[in-house]
Amino acid sequence: MTAVTPRTDTSLVVTGSPRHGRRPARSRRDELSGWLFAGPFLVVFLLFMVWPILHGIYLSFTDQSLTGAGGELVGFANYADALSDPVMWQSLGNTAWFTVLSTVPLVLIALVMALLVDRGLPGQWLWRLSFFTPYLLASTVISQIWVWIFNPQIGAANNILTAIGLEPVSWLQDPNINMMAIVIATVWWTVGFNFLLYLAALQNVPPQQYEAASLDGAGTWRQIWSITIPQLGPTTGMIVILQVLASLKLFDQAYQMLGGVSSDTTRSIVQYIYEAGFVDYRFGYSSAISYIFFALIVIIGLGQAIVTGRRNSAKAGAR
Amino acid sequence: MSSPPFSASRRQFLALGGIAAATAFLASCAPGSGSIFANSSRPELQFWHLLSGGDGVTMSTLLDQVQAAQNAYAVRPTVLAWGEPYYTKLAMAAAGGRAPDVAIMHATRTLGWAPGGLLDEWDLDKLAALGVSEETFSAPIWEKGRIDGKQMSIALDAHPFVLFYNTDICAKADVLGADGRLKPVSSPEEFLEMLRAVAAASGGHALSYGYLGDGAQMWRLFYTLYTQHGIEMEMPLGGTLGIDRDVAIESLEFMQQILDGELAAAQSDYGTAVAEFSTGKSGFFLSGVWELRTMQDAGIPFDMAMIPTIFGTPSVYADSHSFVLPHQSSPDETKRDLSYRFVADLLKSSLGWAEAGHIPAYLPVTESAEYSTLVPQAHYAEAAQHVTYDPPAWFTGSGSNFQGDFGGAVQPALMSGSDAGEALDRFIDTVNVRLLQPNPADPTEVS
Repeated sequence: MTAVTPRTDTSLVVTGSPRHGRRPARSRRDELSGWLFAGPFLVVFLLFMVWPILHGIYLSFTDQSLTGAGGELVGFANYADALSDPVMWQSLGNTAWFTVLSTVPLVLIALVMALLVDRGLPGQWLWRLSFFTPYLLASTVISQIWVWIFNPQIGAANNILTAIGLEPVSWLQDPNINMMAIVIATVWWTVGFNFLLYLAALQNVPPQQYEAASLDGAGTWRQIWSITIPQLGPTTGMIVILQVLASLKLFDQAYQMLGGVSSDTTRSIVQYIYEAGFVDYRFGYSSAISYIFFALIVIIGLGQAIVTGRRNSAKAGAR
Repeated sequence: MSSPPFSASRRQFLALGGIAAATAFLASCAPGSGSIFANSSRPELQFWHLLSGGDGVTMSTLLDQVQAAQNAYAVRPTVLAWGEPYYTKLAMAAAGGRAPDVAIMHATRTLGWAPGGLLDEWDLDKLAALGVSEETFSAPIWEKGRIDGKQMSIALDAHPFVLFYNTDICAKADVLGADGRLKPVSSPEEFLEMLRAVAAASGGHALSYGYLGDGAQMWRLFYTLYTQHGIEMEMPLGGTLGIDRDVAIESLEFMQQILDGELAAAQSDYGTAVAEFSTGKSGFFLSGVWELRTMQDAGIPFDMAMIPTIFGTPSVYADSHSFVLPHQSSPDETKRDLSYRFVADLLKSSLGWAEAGHIPAYLPVTESAEYSTLVPQAHYAEAAQHVTYDPPAWFTGSGSNFQGDFGGAVQPALMSGSDAGEALDRFIDTVNVRLLQPNPADPTEVS
């Protein structure tokens, strides 16, 4: 989002030409070639990020339609409409609910899987591969797979339920559980990425600590609780942030799995933005909802930055 | 970095690469490039459509025929993904005034577009000179192309919701007449009776009807049954939905009666229903004519019929692929004239289109001797006289949110057999909310 990289001892610091002091003779040339290297990126960045963001803000104050009609400035009318639109609030609620439902298992299951693999399940490479492979699939593919699994008549999910003596369930059709079905599919799909991050972090825990702990008589559970999990702290923080941001973007799998039926209980805010803009052609309105959502994300992001910032400075103070 | 020769040659390399890329980019933007039909002597018509799969193959064969038959124009087709992706792009092209010369739209979608000036009007005199006029179409199909007294679209076909039936199973169930075609039924009881006989003969379900997650499928059957009561829904902009609640409940409850798990699977999706019927496990199949090819390829013995008139008035839900002239700010007159000719040519050779299952809208084709020998197409051709489209409103039509909203409202009732009235009230609420929103293509429009 921003180009400001906090300068810490671990972060990769790209230094441009220093602005202080007398410049060496060749620094101007270096600066030029720096801009040349950054140029292609900057052009794309300005065209496809900065400009759409600014234009979107403008659109949100107009009644612009995708069909070219409208375009008059209407002040805050779109925002007023959106804030009093029950569908928008419900969609926001759905996105938030999905974020809560999906983030918890996506962190916990990834941690458990990583611990199992790291603690020496036989055939580590096989587990690593099978846990990560679903993540490589396109959302269209996983949607198809899970639509079949959740088929109420011939799907695998209901076969398993009936085999263990439970009632079959209309996974994607029952408004009370279709969000759960999407969470299950999403966890299966993306847990591999978090698993990989955890696994890498686990392999960085110094083995001496375990050695020392076992000399002092700590058992496996004690080691996991007192060494592994604290050592994974920063990784967990990062995974949670990445996961919350990814879950807030919920759209494609839910949209594809529900198919051609409107579902009030799974329509995410991103889907509502899409529907308002590209199905109902209300660009202005759709932009306004986008910026309301954007504002909420910024608030979440700031809150999170404050929390981690405090934690980091507390650590620095302790050092 | 420090070695000048290397650095220079790298820059040269980058510069050359840049020039090459720019040239390629510009070349690809040049008009007419990349066309398989590029022919410097013939003007090229841009033709957009949304037909893929079997329909796409048939359309491409038809285009080849039409192009081979004359030297006046060439056609460059552009195929975009069905539904919203297509309509979004076409709307933006028309809004910019640089639209393709001709395009195909669902007739039900033109109503939302015409008031905002996204479509140009067809000149009836020019069409008549090419042998295309009101007399060459069935009345409901021609009427659907007229909006506020202007002809905004010319139908290529009608693709109604129809009944497929397995002739072996139906013969065993003794529901075929002496001519080998399905015996007529005229009441809900008779139809259910027929289904019971077919279920006994098939050993499985009588009827395959997939609707899960598919608002369009639910709407097609529901609106067929609803309009068979001799009424249609009214959707006045700014008003409230005109619906006969009792009739709607009767129609929905009839669907629930069929979806009892015995006559038809209670919870089936579209693919499962296709699979069930195409493997000979059921006697009837409710779907659109576009599944004709699939069933022919499956090699089962089957025929097709218009959906029986169960509630008194013959009516079947349908839509039409129609030709439109997307708005161009400064149309090239020669190309416009050739576009008319292209549409007339395609209509006249639309017998090929019937092979994909659709009923050609152009009467000289369906009244030809050749068509009457085309089976099963000829067996459901009468449906073209009784087609009913979506209720006119800017937000209805194929691929719109409206049908998805209907599905969202009634799907729980169809799956569980729960209160139909409650489901209908949910649907009525969503429509009433929509009716308060202005048409985004023309926010000033008031009906």
